[in-house]
Amino acid sequence: MSNNIHVEDAKLLAISHHEGDQFIMRLHAPVIAAQAKAGQFVHIQVSPERAMRRPISIMFCDPEKGRLDILIKKIGQGTALLAKRQQGESLSLLGPIGKPFDLLDTSKRYILIGGGVGIPPMLAVAQHLKASARMVCFAGSEVPFPFKIRPSTVILPGIPSTAMMGLDVLENWKVPSRLASQQEYFGCFNGFVTELADQYLSALGTTEDCVLLACGPEVMLHAVAKLGQKWQLPTQLSLEAHMACGIGGCAGCVVKTVENGKEYYRRVCVDGPVFDAQVLAAYAG
Amino acid sequence: MNLSIPFAGLTLQTPLILLSGCVGFGEEYTRIEGFSNQDVGAVILKGTTLEPRMGNTPNRVYETPSGMLNAIGLQNPGTPYVIEHILPRLPHHETQFWANVNGSSIEEYAEVARRFDDSPVTAMEINISCPNVKEGGVHFGNDPVMSAKVVAAMRAVTKKPLITKISPNNAQVVDIVQACAEAGSDAFSVINTLVGMAVDIEKRQPILGNISGGLSGPAIKPVALWKIHQIREYTAKHQLPILGQGGICNGHDAIEFAITGADAIGLGTGLFYDPLLCKKILTDLEDYMQRHQFDAYQNMVGSLSC
Repeated sequence: MSNNIHVEDAKLLAISHHEGDQFIMRLHAPVIAAQAKAGQFVHIQVSPERAMRRPISIMFCDPEKGRLDILIKKIGQGTALLAKRQQGESLSLLGPIGKPFDLLDTSKRYILIGGGVGIPPMLAVAQHLKASARMVCFAGSEVPFPFKIRPSTVILPGIPSTAMMGLDVLENWKVPSRLASQQEYFGCFNGFVTELADQYLSALGTTEDCVLLACGPEVMLHAVAKLGQKWQLPTQLSLEAHMACGIGGCAGCVVKTVENGKEYYRRVCVDGPVFDAQVLAAYAG
Repeated sequence: MNLSIPFAGLTLQTPLILLSGCVGFGEEYTRIEGFSNQDVGAVILKGTTLEPRMGNTPNRVYETPSGMLNAIGLQNPGTPYVIEHILPRLPHHETQFWANVNGSSIEEYAEVARRFDDSPVTAMEINISCPNVKEGGVHFGNDPVMSAKVVAAMRAVTKKPLITKISPNNAQVVDIVQACAEAGSDAFSVINTLVGMAVDIEKRQPILGNISGGLSGPAIKPVALWKIHQIREYTAKHQLPILGQGGICNGHDAIEFAITGADAIGLGTGLFYDPLLCKKILTDLEDYMQRHQFDAYQNMVGSLSC
């Protein structure tokens, strides 16, 4: 059954460390890689001595080689332990978990907005849609991007010419991208990633077929939700939460929603992590 | 090897019981490849009140040394919904499902029990020890008289086995067990979580939305063993089984509980470490029983010599 969640001991094929306490792991997890969808995550055991696994978005997925790439930022004890893991070691994964992005309508133009360690699910979306739908990706970071970047060869409407850098992997897939930061990184838009997206939308002839997809810090998600309201666009947000079981058993990772005028707490792990911004109490207009 | 056990008039196919609050309404763990309901004697459903409850403001969970805090606050869709919509779709031929009964008043406990009496659940756990609600819960469970009143009110409306969940957050655990037994409790869950908290030093705020939460996991295992040891003399004399719980994460832990006096083994936070824990514990139990020549699990229970 394709909806099954697996416990899989993944082999750490490679770990690369980047500025800003970020690191990328390449894992061999063929069972999970065969099923993972854009927007899903793996729940990683930090150490056999720790009660709570850490939910980490799947970035790139290669089902043929059975590989998953994930980006993690060291922000606490659990992620610090993960940062110390060495190539060749084994990590217990639970996954793939969660409701993925809704990408069924390939006639849409998808606007991907990622911030920091929220960029990976956008790359998963790009990988999934690269052959089938139009899209553009805006990525923001206040620490150096942990990815290869290069000047984009695709001209985008509304984007200042000084903001010319894009992500190498997306360029290779012919997916236009632009970068934003307030750190005045060369070739990046000096401001918020959502401002970049707003300028792009302003220059588009029509925005009717656009859909916003986003993952990133709460403050960025609020700005994306506002952008969606301003342009009246369907907006899907991927959330994170402190998470215990990761499979819907404990209701520890909930977020408040308003559905048909009634309030609920929905589980980020299995009811999300992707939610329609309109149902999220904190993000709805 | 036969791992089935007698428990409060029921026969459980194994001594393992999945604990309330950790396994949703009985379907969630079956999403995991390799997990089988047939490895467990019973699954205790999430704590249920008469009316739906939203539960507490996030954050609700937080990792702590050798365990975690939770303050879910009994989020549940209410007893009528559970009986009408959830129980009918559970695989009752694979294992038993037990209700976990909660309320803000004695009347509510009794009404929830009355409704579950006419349902496929084979037993009811009485949660008078939830630390995360403002009314009921541990406010009843810390008082022997109130605890007994809740048990008696439920006893009056159901013949199904009643298992009282005991709080470790008081010193008079034997008094409470005795009062509940005299009021009609058939068994005891020992222990619920310990009350604790954690602080965000940057924001200088409590991490949990509820401020306090219940501490679970290996950190509380020694407390659980001690509480079982304290009540075991009384419960054994009155043939009242104990569902031991508190940080059981492997076969060694389970065997410790059995030797101390746990007639059944409860798994909760341990499943967060390893969702496929049940099979491993059963294998370890069988190995141990073979090595020590126990032909049935219950012969090992309470075999502690002090």
